[in-house]
Amino acid sequence: MRIRRVLVLIAGAIVVAVAAIVGWMVFQPGPYAFAKGSPVDLAAYKGRPPTGVPPELAHADAATRGEYLIRMADCEACHTAKGGSRFAGGRPFVLPFGTIYTPNLTPDPDTGIGKWSDAQFLNAVHKGIAPDGSHYYPAFPYASYTMLTDADVLAIKAYLFSLKPVHQANRPNTFGFPVNQRWLMAIWARLFNPDHRFRPVEGQSEAWNRGAYLVEAAGHCGECHTPRNLLQALDQRRKFAGGVAEGWNAYNISTDRNDGIGDWPPDDLAVYLAAGHAKGRGVASGPMGEAVALSLAHLTKSDIAAIVTYLRSVPAMASGLPKAAGPAPATPKLANIDNPVGKRLFEGNCVGCHAWTGAGAAADHARLTGLRSVNDPSAANVVQIILNGRGKPGTPKPYMPSFARSYSDAEIAAVANYITARFGSTPSKVTPADVAAFRKEN
Amino acid sequence: MDLKINGANHQVDVPDDMPLLWVIRDVLGMTGTKFGCGIAQCGACTVHVDGIAIRSCQLPVGTVGGRAITTIEGIGDTSAGAKIQKAWIELEVIQCGYCQPGQIMSAAALLAANPQPDDDAIDAAMAGNLCRCGTYVRIREGIKHAARA
Ligand code: FES
Ligand code: FES
Repeated sequence: MRIRRVLVLIAGAIVVAVAAIVGWMVFQPGPYAFAKGSPVDLAAYKGRPPTGVPPELAHADAATRGEYLIRMADCEACHTAKGGSRFAGGRPFVLPFGTIYTPNLTPDPDTGIGKWSDAQFLNAVHKGIAPDGSHYYPAFPYASYTMLTDADVLAIKAYLFSLKPVHQANRPNTFGFPVNQRWLMAIWARLFNPDHRFRPVEGQSEAWNRGAYLVEAAGHCGECHTPRNLLQALDQRRKFAGGVAEGWNAYNISTDRNDGIGDWPPDDLAVYLAAGHAKGRGVASGPMGEAVALSLAHLTKSDIAAIVTYLRSVPAMASGLPKAAGPAPATPKLANIDNPVGKRLFEGNCVGCHAWTGAGAAADHARLTGLRSVNDPSAANVVQIILNGRGKPGTPKPYMPSFARSYSDAEIAAVANYITARFGSTPSKVTPADVAAFRKEN
Repeated sequence: MDLKINGANHQVDVPDDMPLLWVIRDVLGMTGTKFGCGIAQCGACTVHVDGIAIRSCQLPVGTVGGRAITTIEGIGDTSAGAKIQKAWIELEVIQCGYCQPGQIMSAAALLAANPQPDDDAIDAAMAGNLCRCGTYVRIREGIKHAARA
């Protein structure tokens, strides 16, 4: 009798605890609930509308505006495969439970979206529901896009319909059970897609509201830069504290002065976003390099300024990253680094541009000291850029070759560890197996 | 834009982002500096910017500004460069020669910064300069020979 009562009590406690944990994950603040003021419906907002195109393009034709909006939402990065036709989809995303391929967004009637009505397109972008009623996986950031206005979504559709149709069938994902149960995504959407349009905040400036629309609705920055909870939803309580994107660390972009961007002067932020590089801040690479090249670099000055205004209002959120190390010595030999393979690789392949001091031999693009990636004990982004390189030779943009085919996993691990030990504050301990895992992410 | 190369001023009309190597070779016709890989991996294109050895194939010309550029055509006018060239001739360092303008530029920058380089310093400065003919042993000797001169 006694034992039974105890068991019932324990079971009850477990149920309550699970409910509390799920509830904690489900009932979250909104993406900009931190802001003072009162959110109002768009129609009731008295300021300049934060949606649509910026004032610079107020008189542009519909095609230009549509193109601008699709840049704002950066559809191209995900919906274009490496070397494939723009917007024809097929880009793989390797997730812990399988690989998902983006679909074809060109107006091909059979393989693309050529037969879609406006209502179907809105349903897809706002609710994550395909025309056949099935649910998309949240790899498609519809929980952010749901904030886009109907007008903006339909302008994007009109732009897509102006493209040349590309006949390219969508590839099925390789998810295993239980993630392959699409109906589960309906529950996910219920829990985590607010399904309402952007609500400007009275009491915040027009620039701030425009920035919020750009960052939260269109730019979906949080999808990479905000950590996710167990249910794969963004953990808004740790907003912008850093996440992961395709094996790259998407660093903290909250206003924490050490871990985030709190100590970046606004001008540095603006230049970094628009050009992918600001002096002493490194070069946007990997997924962020794409975000700059395909989206941010095309935005107007006023929009970049609005993004900066908004980002600088986000509360500081620490994520436990070490302080960056200072300048490195010019002498090649450092007694405290016992890593002959790493040193040999570094002197043969890296010194020419990065220099022994890590300050960059001739251009700040090649700086290593002071960068977050080099001062990240996981060295994830150091390994990634060694594997993937960045940019193309002979173009105006900073270029670094890929070393994936030139060196073994052990060699790449050694040089990554050498770099973090020489130029960072915490030496990394990357293993050859780690490098092998990183190779698979790309 | 104005460039200071080997002490002379040059006016060139090129886009900011053109690699310095292209300007030197294709626009100004100074073909002593060689094109090897184009991706900062071989050292054939090494020149000096304010005395520092850099890979000109990866340096956008717009970032040079007023800094002094020295190429293989002008390196003999510097004291370290003259010593290196003399050593190179005396020891017959060169095989086919393609990599050698880059080797000499890197060696001259090393010698100017460090008049008595040991093996480690030579490795550190020269490891980024490849030589298909394998003249590495003679390059090391050449640098030491020049240091003694
Ligand atoms: S051509 Fe510049 S390093 Fe090879
Ligand atoms: S002498 Fe032939 S490549 Fe070096």
